[in-house]
Amino acid sequence: MIKKIFLIIKNNILLTALVGVLVGLLSSWILYEGLHRTSGDRFCVVCHEMKPMVAAYHNDVHGGNGKTGIKVTCATCHLPHENVIAYIATKARNGVVEGAIHFFGNPDKIDWQANRANRQHFVKDEACYGCHTNYKTNESISEQGRKMHAHYASLEGTKNEIGCASCHAEVGHKGLRSMLNYYKPEYEFYKGKLDTKKEEAEKKLAEELKK
Amino acid sequence: MGIKKTLLAVGFFLILGVMSLVGSEVKTSSPEIKITPEMKEKFPVKPHHAKLSFKCTDCHAEQGDEPENFKAIEDKGCLSCHKTKQYLADRLKFMDNLHTNPHNSIHDGPKLYCDECHNEHKPSENMCLSCHSNDVKLWMRPTP
Repeated sequence: MIKKIFLIIKNNILLTALVGVLVGLLSSWILYEGLHRTSGDRFCVVCHEMKPMVAAYHNDVHGGNGKTGIKVTCATCHLPHENVIAYIATKARNGVVEGAIHFFGNPDKIDWQANRANRQHFVKDEACYGCHTNYKTNESISEQGRKMHAHYASLEGTKNEIGCASCHAEVGHKGLRSMLNYYKPEYEFYKGKLDTKKEEAEKKLAEELKK
Repeated sequence: MGIKKTLLAVGFFLILGVMSLVGSEVKTSSPEIKITPEMKEKFPVKPHHAKLSFKCTDCHAEQGDEPENFKAIEDKGCLSCHKTKQYLADRLKFMDNLHTNPHNSIHDGPKLYCDECHNEHKPSENMCLSCHSNDVKLWMRPTP
């Protein structure tokens, strides 16, 4: 049987190569489209508990609210880019875990404010400097800013390593703390008093996601 | 002996190349101050700043290398990283709804000096407390 296949391949080497190329191209295209279409806010928000994060993201320059309207996807900043295997593995794991929490867990129990303390682990620095390539030398950054970026670089690889988001607290999600408070106030005093703000945000979010 | 000459020339250029790289790193003119346990006790740093591993001179820039002689950095120093008072007020926008935003209060707007409430090397003192002694703990957490 195997011998027969080898014989066919041997006799039709050109055709086999052509089929091989086509299969290769087709599978890369499927993989590319699959990864591409499942990386943005509209897809992620279906399962992930992240409505306030998306609402705040739409108010940020990274979410299309800048002069140029450039928008980066969720996956751009939040998935590792060092190698494609880690990228796909993290994506798959997150998908399963977050999906499980959304459908079977108790999303109300998530303490979003507390999780913000871990922000440097949610944001991938290689993604930041993938676009902000000259963050150490860019002269439109203030002198103190450049000094701090040199400080960041000097800590890289040490046990005191910090992330971009360690200092850039609400990066990518302008007004995140306020938006989280509209959804789930962090102090008892505000409970029930920010509901109109939440409704406004929800309405705007629904419109943005329809676009 | 052509090879020897070539090797010498290559070696020469390699050494020259490496030499030119030395010193091309970003230079910070700030003097290095060794932080001793005694100093840590005398000038404790707030946890949110401590975890960023700052050096004394990151804040006390151009103030020499003697911590005892350092002066307060004033608003300009704080805002060199924390942008503007309006930016800080906007980060607490949710409090505006109930007029409890300490960075945009109905008395002072976004105009207070940072050190009216915030201290770095000693506990902060929330100025709102001087009148609203019972309410402040409902409105906000202890001043960082």
